[in-house]
Amino acid sequence: MGTLVVYFIAVVFLVSAMLGLSYVLGQRHEDPATGEPYESGIVSTGSARLRLSAGFYLVAMFFVIFDLEAVYLFAWAIAFRELGWRGYVEALIFIGVLVAALLYLWLQGALDWGTSSRAARRRP
Amino acid sequence: MSLAELARLLPLIGVGATTVVVMLVVAFYRHHLLTASLTLIGLAAAFLTLWVAPAAPSAQVTSLLVLDGYARFYLGLIVATAFGVTLLAYDYLEARESRPEEFYLLLLLATLGSGVLVASSHFASFFLGLETLSIALYALIAYPRVERNCIEAGLKYLVLAAVSAAFLLYGMALIYAQLGTMELSRIAQSMSGMGGAPSVMLLGGFGMLLVGIGYKLALVPFHMWAPDVYQGAPAPVAAFLATVSKGAMFALLLRYFAPIDLHAYRPLFLAFSLIAIASMLTGNLLALLQENVKRLLAYSSIAHLGYLLVAFLAGRAMAGMAVAFYLVSYFIASLGAFGVITVLSSGQVGGRAALGSWLLAPGGDKDESHPYQEPRAKSQELPSSPGEAESIEEYRGLFWQHPWLAGIFTAMLLSLAGLPITAGFVGKVYLLAAGVGSSLWLLAIVLALTSTIGLFYYLRLIVAMYTRPPVGERAFESRRQSPDTRRQWGGALVLGALVLLLVGFGVYPAPLIHWIQVAEQGSSRLAGPFGERRAHRSPLSVGDERPAPAVSSSR
Repeated sequence: MGTLVVYFIAVVFLVSAMLGLSYVLGQRHEDPATGEPYESGIVSTGSARLRLSAGFYLVAMFFVIFDLEAVYLFAWAIAFRELGWRGYVEALIFIGVLVAALLYLWLQGALDWGTSSRAARRRP
Repeated sequence: MSLAELARLLPLIGVGATTVVVMLVVAFYRHHLLTASLTLIGLAAAFLTLWVAPAAPSAQVTSLLVLDGYARFYLGLIVATAFGVTLLAYDYLEARESRPEEFYLLLLLATLGSGVLVASSHFASFFLGLETLSIALYALIAYPRVERNCIEAGLKYLVLAAVSAAFLLYGMALIYAQLGTMELSRIAQSMSGMGGAPSVMLLGGFGMLLVGIGYKLALVPFHMWAPDVYQGAPAPVAAFLATVSKGAMFALLLRYFAPIDLHAYRPLFLAFSLIAIASMLTGNLLALLQENVKRLLAYSSIAHLGYLLVAFLAGRAMAGMAVAFYLVSYFIASLGAFGVITVLSSGQVGGRAALGSWLLAPGGDKDESHPYQEPRAKSQELPSSPGEAESIEEYRGLFWQHPWLAGIFTAMLLSLAGLPITAGFVGKVYLLAAGVGSSLWLLAIVLALTSTIGLFYYLRLIVAMYTRPPVGERAFESRRQSPDTRRQWGGALVLGALVLLLVGFGVYPAPLIHWIQVAEQGSSRLAGPFGERRAHRSPLSVGDERPAPAVSSSR
């Protein structure tokens, strides 16, 4: 308990010292270009708020979801013989639900993006 | 896993399988009525399988789940409520949504999560159930994604639920570090058997657990999200939030915290008492200030959870019965109240919402064919939602247009207020009896006093409904487009059944009491909220430490 308190105080001290010292010792500029983003000396053009295609985001999401679920299958694969038929059936159920989810995403058109997709041909 | 264990799991398996089937059906063939009927069939089947449970010696299914009488009672309550919400949601979604099918998918997932929550006997399943419930709820709350309120509510719920989950996990870690077990019943046992002062780490762990649970139940220091989320969420989802998500959590809390003699853990007992008093006071006082019916119900639900905590703290043999009865009456009345709002909000109105078209048609996007923008094409003829019927002003004179709906709403509000011949009255008597029986005088007095305050705002709404609109001012019907209440069979069915149950249990509560007792006998715990004897406890002497009600977060 005592060490925890000491640790806590040390953390608070360290953080406040770092922030406080840099506040006291640091320089302050008020030049015209102070607030602008630095791009290797070149004056920046345009806004940083670009429109990104939602397709990238979807792909990233699907990758994370299915990748994570592959982790469970690896764990099962290692203990495949020990778990026997019961483990096999359980893994089948797991994969079945995954396939159902994939089917759902596919038929919703979440997997095709770009102009030449199936959804585009169907819906002129 | 033996067949007997699988048979015990059938209700959960049923809900889970229905989710997958509904998802596949939605993928291949989008049809609103078909999806809704499948959901209803699945829920009904899951409800029926509650009786399949064989007479196995142990209700424990793996170390994660326990499906004893207690769990099955609340599971039945949850599944039945989800059934009601589905029926209510059908007409609402039919009138307001262009793609309503996924709603049922999420509703089923949330039901499954809360089912796992009430049946959990291990930190892992507890957290798993809670997250399944919460993640489905984020999407449900923000389901009408063109409305700013809904998105705001969904986002608020997402952030706060994530924070509370972090607290919960940290608390679990601390408790595990101290006690070396994650099984809830063993934690309760070792807590009860522990002599001397508990360690700081254990208290810290339980404190964090309390914060996480408090968020979920919207108890007072953690209640800020409730009014905003209730207001923003679609009315059927708000009904689900108010009933299932809170009820499941409270059932779990009661099952595992009540056997712990909280008196040995003075700080915890004090914390719970303060939270209970603060919830009752804040909920009822702030509800007085509300002009929005959904916010009013949100504050009233905060107060109701405070009432429930009184029985929880009483923790004697009475507590299980009192909480179960009160939760049933609260479920009925809340579902009914939000149900009336749902039915009144299901009207179709022409014209496009400016915000909706702005969100759905982002300028400069050439990718016309993106499948996820399909709603855009539809939105041209999509009837925009005119907002829900939620300000008290809109309810003025409701009786003269929709006497039945006004009557039903009145019954629900009276039950929430705890007036006789409704189930809410019997429930409140049980709560008070539990509180007084354990000599929790301060808590019992606050309960009685704040209930009186509560009566005022419920009556205010009721009076508004029965006021005849002055000549020249238009009545409910014409102020907003007529909700075609005559064609909403689902809503009529649910509301009719709820009123019958409400008055039925209010006049003749014996059957419900009998069911609760049967559930008690079926519960296999050594010591629990049901049938547990505990030493007489001294009156709570919290003194004058009542916190001032938090300054209103009302808008």
